[in-house]
Amino acid sequence: MENENVIICRCEEVTFKEICDTLKQYNCSSREVKLRTRAAMGYCGGRSCRSFVDTLVAEFSRRPRADDVQLKYRPPVRPMPFKTLGGE
Amino acid sequence: MIDCLIVGAGPAGLSAAIACAENGLSTMVLDEFMKPGGRLLGQLHEEPNGIWWNGIDEAEKLYQRAKALSISFHLETSVCHLEKVDGKYWTLHTDKGKFSGKNLLIATGAAEQSLPIPGWTLPGVMSIGAAQVMANVHRVKPGHRGIVIGVNVLSAAIARELLLAGVNLEGIVLPPRYLLTKGQSEPKDVFQSLLHMVHLAPSHLMKIGGKMALKSSFIRKMAVGTYPKKGFKVWGMPIKLKQTVTEIIGKENVEGVKVASVDSSGNIIEGSEEILPVDFVCISGGLYPLAELVSLAGCPFKYIPSLGGHVPVHDHNMQTPVEGLYVAGNVTGIESAKVAMAQGHLAGLSISSQKNKVSDGEALQNARESVVSTRTNALIHFHPDILDGRRRLYG
Repeated sequence: MENENVIICRCEEVTFKEICDTLKQYNCSSREVKLRTRAAMGYCGGRSCRSFVDTLVAEFSRRPRADDVQLKYRPPVRPMPFKTLGGE
Repeated sequence: MIDCLIVGAGPAGLSAAIACAENGLSTMVLDEFMKPGGRLLGQLHEEPNGIWWNGIDEAEKLYQRAKALSISFHLETSVCHLEKVDGKYWTLHTDKGKFSGKNLLIATGAAEQSLPIPGWTLPGVMSIGAAQVMANVHRVKPGHRGIVIGVNVLSAAIARELLLAGVNLEGIVLPPRYLLTKGQSEPKDVFQSLLHMVHLAPSHLMKIGGKMALKSSFIRKMAVGTYPKKGFKVWGMPIKLKQTVTEIIGKENVEGVKVASVDSSGNIIEGSEEILPVDFVCISGGLYPLAELVSLAGCPFKYIPSLGGHVPVHDHNMQTPVEGLYVAGNVTGIESAKVAMAQGHLAGLSISSQKNKVSDGEALQNARESVVSTRTNALIHFHPDILDGRRRLYG
């Protein structure tokens, strides 16, 4: 399957291979994958790729998915113009 | 101050708003879409009794009832943050200003799960739900000829709607097999999950065959092994369980897909690759509860795959452990619109009872029973283990 270069995080253009390589090297959490690769750190707030990241972390670590949400949701949870966020 | 703020004007949110207002609560509903109804707006299917379920009509009925009760609506309003102020009331931050209320019901429904496939970032690739909204809500064809990737209840139901809308589709095929399509790319797994919707099959023979296959792994193996490459037609739509898309191709936008035949385990049969010209592709990896706001409110979660993933902890009255925070509809787990309506009604009564405006517990009891009976009688179960998933939440 030639999926190595398929993009997982569309906002930050992070590929399947980059995430897998990170997991192979560090066997880390979703949050660490995010901090190392920027996957799920983009414009959409991880809405498209967070479950892919969580799935890959579960696959590589062979641990079941936890009840806690792995990648914290942060406001604003919708794209907003700066003027809406505050200021004059 | 408003008694109850409701985020989401879908079947759950509208039903809850009606129940709140009928019990004397001042109620406000917010939704980011320009029309009320949520996912009801896309729905059109035939029930076993031959009557068509027209989601647009159902949405309009609920909206008119809500309007008659003087419920205030803020459509095209995106809630981007929320906070509890002084531990007493909720403030919603939106792109149209702030709104405050004593109680908060989050009925934000579900979001679609896509599947990463080579070429899936090309213009012309969309989620199956996007194609549904284009056709059923905006009356626009998504393209001239398309293909659906991902075989499940949702994609089969929407593909049928697209056919009814006059959209040309090659059929429904599997995604390529790799780590991120596990359970959705092996013909034997997908076949097994399809058997749970065999009661919807158009022919009596298929219904009997399906029931036998559900009970016998030998028949299942035989059936997957002999499954024809062209697929079986369900509602006039070929479901090609032995075909996969290995790549979506095109320069500036979708020009075609590379398809290949696979064996029962999803291995590609060498030399079977061919290119099909299509100008749009719909990907369907299922639905998951859209719970961003619930999470920001500090509610704990449980991971229950049969309900679609992470769902907010809540009790059988739709109340969360966070005081004044309620949930209803698909945000609590992926089920049909009818279950969402029953949950919304229950949540509305539950919020009203906190204000001591529902004197008898009988109404609540009836509403709880209605959720359970609607769930048990549901025509389509998005996951065969929904009842088990619900037991993990409610005990």
